[in-house]
This record gives sequence, C-alpha cells and structure tokens, in this order.
Amino acid sequence: MKKLLALALVFVLTMSLLPIAMADESVADIIAQAQTMTNEELYKKAIEESKGKTFNAVGNSSRGKSVLPLFIEELQKIDPSYTLEFSWQQPKNNNIFAQLDADVNSANHEISMTLIQDGNQIQSKMLDTGYLLNFVPKEWAEAEDVAKENNENPLALQTLNKVFMFNNLGDKTYTNMWDFVADGEAPLFMGVNSEPVGKNFLYMMTSEKYSNWAKEAYEAWDGKNEEYDALIEDMKLDVKDLGLTAENANYGLTWVLLWCDQYNQETDDGPICNTLVTKSAAGQTGLLVYSKLRSIEETAESSVNNITVAAYQDGYTGIGGYAYKHYVMLTKTSPLPWTACALIAFMTTTSEGFYAWGKDMGGYAPVAACMQDHSQDGYVDGVNTYDAKNDRGYDWWLNDGQLVVEDPAYCASVSGKMSAWIDGIVAGK
Amino acid sequence: MSVTVLRKPSAFRKKLNKIWTYLSKPQNFILLMLGIILTVTTVYPMVTILKDTVSVHPGTVDAAEDAKSAQFEVLGDDYTTFNWTDLFTGVNITRHGRQRIELSVAKTYLWTPLLNSVLISIFACVGSILYGGIFAYLVTRTNLKLKKYLSSIFIFPYIMPQWTLAIIWRNLFFSNAVTGGSDGLFASVLGVNMPQWWCEGLFPVSVVLALHYAPFAYILIGGIFRNMDANLEEAATILNTPRWKTFLRVTLPLVKPAILSTILLVFSSAMGSYPIPHYLGLSTLSTQYVGMRIDRVGEASILAVIMMLFGFLILIVNQKTTSGRKNFTTVTGKSGQSSLVNLGVGKYILSTVFVLTTLFSGILPIILFAIETFLPNPGDYSFLTNGIAGHLTTKWWLTAENVSENGIYGQFGILYNSDIWRAFGGTMIVAVCCALVAGTIGTLVGYCVSKNRRSKWAGYVNNVAFLPYLMPSLAVGIAFFVVGSNLGIFNTFLLLILAGTVKYIPFASRSSLNSMMQLSGEIEEAAIIQDIPWWRRMVQIIIPIQKSSIISGYLLPFMTCLRELTLFMLLCRQDLIITTLMDYFDEMGLYAFSSGINLILIVVILVCNTLVNKLTGASLDAGIGGK
Repeated sequence: MKKLLALALVFVLTMSLLPIAMADESVADIIAQAQTMTNEELYKKAIEESKGKTFNAVGNSSRGKSVLPLFIEELQKIDPSYTLEFSWQQPKNNNIFAQLDADVNSANHEISMTLIQDGNQIQSKMLDTGYLLNFVPKEWAEAEDVAKENNENPLALQTLNKVFMFNNLGDKTYTNMWDFVADGEAPLFMGVNSEPVGKNFLYMMTSEKYSNWAKEAYEAWDGKNEEYDALIEDMKLDVKDLGLTAENANYGLTWVLLWCDQYNQETDDGPICNTLVTKSAAGQTGLLVYSKLRSIEETAESSVNNITVAAYQDGYTGIGGYAYKHYVMLTKTSPLPWTACALIAFMTTTSEGFYAWGKDMGGYAPVAACMQDHSQDGYVDGVNTYDAKNDRGYDWWLNDGQLVVEDPAYCASVSGKMSAWIDGIVAGK
Repeated sequence: MSVTVLRKPSAFRKKLNKIWTYLSKPQNFILLMLGIILTVTTVYPMVTILKDTVSVHPGTVDAAEDAKSAQFEVLGDDYTTFNWTDLFTGVNITRHGRQRIELSVAKTYLWTPLLNSVLISIFACVGSILYGGIFAYLVTRTNLKLKKYLSSIFIFPYIMPQWTLAIIWRNLFFSNAVTGGSDGLFASVLGVNMPQWWCEGLFPVSVVLALHYAPFAYILIGGIFRNMDANLEEAATILNTPRWKTFLRVTLPLVKPAILSTILLVFSSAMGSYPIPHYLGLSTLSTQYVGMRIDRVGEASILAVIMMLFGFLILIVNQKTTSGRKNFTTVTGKSGQSSLVNLGVGKYILSTVFVLTTLFSGILPIILFAIETFLPNPGDYSFLTNGIAGHLTTKWWLTAENVSENGIYGQFGILYNSDIWRAFGGTMIVAVCCALVAGTIGTLVGYCVSKNRRSKWAGYVNNVAFLPYLMPSLAVGIAFFVVGSNLGIFNTFLLLILAGTVKYIPFASRSSLNSMMQLSGEIEEAAIIQDIPWWRRMVQIIIPIQKSSIISGYLLPFMTCLRELTLFMLLCRQDLIITTLMDYFDEMGLYAFSSGINLILIVVILVCNTLVNKLTGASLDAGIGGK
C-alpha cells in the first residue's frame, strides 16, 4: 500500500513538474525548428497555433499595431478563415522591462514577443537572465544584401535615428554640434530616465570614436573660447573619476555635461516634434526621432518647413544625432511561439511586414529588400516642398551625418558610474 | 435510580466555550475574519517591499556591486545590503563642471525628492483647506449667490484624473521665452510670459494639488458646517461677542476634526502623487521612484518604504488627535435654527470670484478637452487666428484604419479604437468590483467595530483597515506590484481589484463607522429579543436606516477607481484600464485622445453620481451644496 502511495506521489509530482520543464524547453525547441523553415511553413504553423486566439506583444514602437492587420491578411491568403485578436502595447517610462519580467515570472503568461530597445538593459536584464530568446528567420539568414553585423544576435528589426533639428524661424544658426549646448540653449529632449537609449547615447559620447568627433567639432566651432577650454581641461578630473579611458573623453564628457545641464525635458518625441514645428517655437532646438515629422499636419501655425535637420546643412560639423536599434525576440514563456516566429519572419524579411516602419523616413532595415526609398518624401507633385522629409538614407547618416551608434558593451562598461553622474547633473539643474 | 455526576469542565474546555460564546456573536466572528484578511492584505505587501530593498536585481547596480564587493556578501547571493548603504551613504560624486558642485547619491535620489514631497504635501494641505474650507463656509453658512451651481462645479477637479489639471496648466502658461518650446494660450493669445517658478516646479505642483484636493476639504468641512449646531454661535452673538471671535473660538474648534482629517488624507495623497510633479517638472519621491527603476530598483523600493513610514506617522498622528466619536466627520447634533450670515454686497463679489476660479478649475478644462479633440496637431490652436476651415478636424474621432498615415501616429480614431473601449470596460470592471468588495467589507468593519467599541482587537481592525488610505498611493501600488509579480498575477484584474479594495476600504469603513456610532443599540436589541437572525437584522433594520452612508461607502470607491492612476500604474499594462491608457496618450503628446477619454470619463462619473443621487439621495456633494 505504502509503495503504491509513494508511486502515485512520484507520478503526480512528475506530471506536475513536466509542463514546467516542457514550457521552458518548448519555446527554445520551437525556435530551433522555426529557424529551419521558410516563411510560408512558419505561416502555416502560426495558423495551426493561433487561429481565433489572442496574440499579445509589447514594443517600444507603436507601429507594431499597424503590422498585425497586414500579418493577418498574409495568413488569410493561406487560410481565408484565419482570424487573430491582438494587443500591441508600447509601455512608457522603461516599464517594458518590468512588464516582461513580470510576465515571464507570472503563472499566466500573455506576452508572446517583444520589440525592444536599449541594448544595455536587454543584455543584463533579458538575455543574461534568459527571459528573451533570439530567433533568426531562415529567409533573413539567407537573404541577399543583408547587413548581418551587429544585427543578428539579437535580431534587429531596424536601426533608428534621432537627429538634431531646429526651428528655422529665428535668427539663430546651428552649424556645429556644440551650438546645441552653447550658453542659453535649451534643446528639447526626452528625459534620460524616461527613455534610456538617450542615456546610452550620452555614454557613447565618451567613447574613443565619438569623443574624437567631439574634439574635432570643438576645434572647428566658432563659439570656442577660453571658458570652454578651461572647462574641457577641468573635465579631465571627471574622466579619471568615472574611469573613462578614451584619449579625448574630456571633450565628449564636456558636451554631455553641458547637454545634461541645459536640455529641456519632454515626455516623448511626439510633443517635441509638435512643439518644434510651430511658429512660436522660433529658434528652439531638439534631438528627436526623425520619423516623427511624418505625422505633422500643415496648418497656419505648424509646418514641417519650420524645421531644419541640422546635419543636412552644408558645412555642418560634428554628430548629426544618434542611432539605436529595435530588436525583436520571443519571451521564453511565449504562449504562441510559432505565431511569434512567423510574425518576426514577416516583419524582418518582407517589405509588407516592414511596411509599418519602412513607409517613413528614419528607420533602416538590415535586409535591403525591405527598405523603401525616402529620398523624395518631401516632394509634392514632383516639387521639393518639405526638404526636411527627404531622408538621405542609412549609409549617408552613418558616415556623412555622423550618427553615434549604440554599443551595448561600452554602455554597460561605463553606466555604473556615469548613470549616477548624469542623474546628479540633471537633478542639480 | 441513576445518578448524574457533574464533572468540573477542564480549563481547555472552558477556554473553548469562551471562544465559542465569543464567536457565536456574528460581529465578533466577522471582526476576527476581517482582522486576519486585512492583516494579510495590508501587512504582506509591506513585508514584500521591505524584502525587495535587500534583494539583488539582475542588471542593476546592486547586482553589479554585490558581485564585485565582499562587503555585501553577508546576505548571500540573492540578498544584499548595498541598496541601503548606497542610498544613505553613497560615495560623493564631484561634478567638475562650471560650478564645481558636490553631489551625493543620497542628495540626488533621496533628500531633495523627500524635501520636495514634504513641501508639496504641506502646501497642498494648506491650499486645499483654505480654498475648500472657505468655500464650504460660504456655501453652508452664508447667503452666497449661485450656491447650487458653484457646489456642483467645485467638485469637478476631484472628479477629473488629477494630472489633467497639470496638462491644462502647461497648455495655458508655458511659453517659448520662459520654458522653451512653443507658446501656450497665455503667451500666444495675451502675449504674457509667466515666470519660470509659475510654470514649473514647487509652486504649480502645489497649486494643482490644492485645487484637486480642495473638493475633498469642501466635502469634509462642509458636512460639519452644515450639521453644526447654530445655537452655539447664536449664544455667542447674544453675548455680544465679535463675529471674528465667534468664528475663532466657536466655529473653528467645531470644524477642527474635519480640518485634521483633511490634512491627514491630503498629505498622504499629495505625497504619493506621481503624475502632477511628473508633468510639472518637480523631483519627488514618486517621480524619483519611477526614474530609479532602470538601474536602482532596490533603492527605489527604499523610497517606497519611506513613503510608507509617512503613512504610519500619519496614522499615529491620527490616533493622537482623534478618538472615539470625535473621528472625522463628527456630527455635533442638528439645530433647527440654522441662520445664514448676510454677506451684503459681498455675496455677489464672492460668488463672482468663485465663478471665475471654478471656471479655471472646472469649466475651462472641459472646454479645452473638447477643443483639443478637433485640433489638426496637438496643441495647434491655428483656428483661433485663422478661422475654423482647414484648422479643425474630426480625424481623432473618426479615423477607421491605422495602416495609412493619417497624422494620428498609427492609432484608430476614438470611436473606432478598440483599445480605448476595452480599457474603458476594464475600468468599469475594476471600479464595480472594488466598490462592491470595499463597500461590503468597509460596512462590516464599521458595524463590527461600533459593536465592540472598547475592544482592542476592534481598534486594531479599524486601524489596519484605515492604514492603506494614509499610505501614499504609489507606495501601495509598489507593494502590490512586488506582490503581484511574485504571485504571478501582474496585469490581472484580480491584482487591481485587490489593491483598489485594500486602498479604498477606509472610504466605506469610515462612513459606515460614523453612521453606526449614531445608531442606538436598542434598535438591534429589540430584534435580538425577538430572535431575528443577524442577516435579517442587517438587511431589514440596519442597512435601511443607514442607507445613505452605506451607499456613500460604495460610491466613493467606485468614483475614485474610475479616475485612479497612481495606484494602478505599476500593476498593469497600459491598455487594461482607461487611466493608464490616458496617461500613455498624454506621455506621447496625443492630447486629443486623452482629452476625449477625459470627457467620456467625466460624463460617466456625473451620470453615475446623478443616478445614485436620484435613487438613494447619496452623492459626492449631496447635503452640502445649498440643498
């Protein structure tokens, strides 16, 4: 009798633990299988898995909401009766990490995938903990003309740029990156703790490559004077305290200090853009997502033509903004992993799937076939009407536009001390 | 012949009998159960958050420091003392900038936000009591004009989600010249640039909080003014006492309990407010908590613990200053001879003043919300100078797809936006459930405590039920966030209802206790003699008599839940309920959506209030506003 009871107990225990073990392995297993499948095979799996169900995702971009109807249409080409309810949310204030953490550790997993930014936190909070799993679609890996470097692990949906802009109705000119931090300037910028990619950008300014750019721009700046020289010299002490190693880190750090001291905090790039395009914002500046210009409706008060993209000016010196990436990954507890894989494949390998991001300037996919040309987005009936909207493309921005590109490893190495240093400056304003 | 031997019962048996007798009274049994439940739901979250302050959080500074420093190894791999050490004694960071200011971790993350939090709480108390108290006096004790209208409009800021006034403040007073960015209405229409201190920081945050909580003061203080025995003041008048002296020596002491209760409740509410300081640029414990969740999660939890300590402090002050029947909405007896002070010409002047102030705090926001939903770009008031044609649009309401670019950032219009309507449904579920559960538990607490006035256990239950209300909302939200994450119920209605119920039980328990205290025990005793069961005594005697107070106990949690953000913002994803979704739209600068939702919310609250008022006579301002 006792043996029977013991056996029954062991059986019950094993059965109760089995789903946990299976759940952990199954998403990884499914990913391994999915990586060998074509998009069409993945779509069929998705139909099998999620027909009539609800798909939940969280993302740092609101445009995921636009891609899901197109994804459903794509699946309906295979099975016209396919339906899918969906919820795509864009958490604010860095809540995306807390939400993913909570969902993965919840008894009731809802989130199937995420579109997430901030390489620094992704590495330490999501990848090191195993909460997010990477999936590289077969058609992405085998695509022609794909920029795999820095885009494969984790898989990048796109690189985005935030660029310096200014309202051109005033008398002021901004032809150097140091103009934005000159005395009296208050550039509009999202709070560094509201969107940490902004903080990553500031960390990156102290790295070898970008602090050299900062030095070169300073040397060419017509606002250069003894006071700034002294400040830059003085910053060598901070460089030492913060453990920075780049030769010209004091130049980058001075720029960061002035930026933090002077920037005018906004809750999002949307309000920054809506502000900058108005007549009354004459002479105001900002560092914001380039694509926000897409949603401005021309009125007597607001116009895209009130904006100048700083780096587009002839003779502009220094960085034109910064670039960061949107990564797409599955949660390790994804309730609909096949559908998530199929959606990721759709988004990253087809022009339809990338359409929600690719239709506007400022977002650049690793797969060239997904990209659309936006060099004439500002043209109306063949006439160049809104020049600020004419996107010069990823290569131009990276080289001529001198974008600062996020490097998660560098950010992680300096964030420990620099984060508190930046917070201190912002708090002491 | 049989002999029955009576044995002396054992001590254990005696104790058991005693317990049985004690628990056979429904009020005792319920009190015991409620005590246990409330202890678990109130104390457990607090313990959890305390634990979080010493936990290691992957990817944050405590994990990095704990891994590399032997100093913190004493607590093992999962726990660390780093967060406490760093927050209070963190190494000074010297900024070698232009001013060479020395900054410490404690100053940046703790002392400055703490000072700001305390200051806005004090100013909000003073402001709300002065504004709400004076208004309450004028409405109840003078012949002020337009009482009914003013009374209804005065409570609007309390109905609206609190940060909406902050958004209005920005839209009105910000200017290119002072705050940077584009001009607000004041600068663009009147050409007036308000100074920086007026636009951002301590002053506007205090003013907006005071405006938001003034209706609270009005309802509490007004209730006492209305029920005050006028004989006392008339006696003073007969004795030829000057009016100011009568006010200071007679009137003010009578409303002291209401003033104290307003201070206690407004102080903790203001301290826990997140959105107003966030939108008006002030670093407080709440805003700092949200900012620190990136890489200082454990230290952020310490801020929550500090906010909770304020809750305890307020509870102690409450205990010291009020007791027994003096609690809160104390009624000193009704007089049939209430006379109104004649303001003379002042009745017109003062009513004009209040018409103007309520215009700013109650009417203007609604007008601006309505206009905002028709603007082509958020905050673009081109139509004021260029006419309506081409400068107003219905796209924010009527856009039926989100694939093509419609200038609304990939959203559906309000009428077609399933997120909005689903979130609205979610809010109704949470509000109804919270109201039902909190209302019922609160009523039972009030009933049971009133039946056991001298019992220490009853006092404990009463306090533990009231404690969450004295805790800043964000602190309670943080505690339930940690609990919800641990239990795997994050982003569920269950978690929201649990948090809302615990937080809002005091509404019902206070209302119920006050009314039950006024109820003579003889009424129920008569029914007990006739052997009428407890539930019938409740349903047929107690509840009908105190119907109005009990319904208020259900109504207040319902109304408050509808517009609550701070308590719920950490507990769910943004589209589960309407306030989190509104906040999201405001953060994104999509004011048309948040304004449209706000309008819908205000209408719903007003309809509910009116409906309940018509059906039961209970309402937020019923019995005060000149009725």
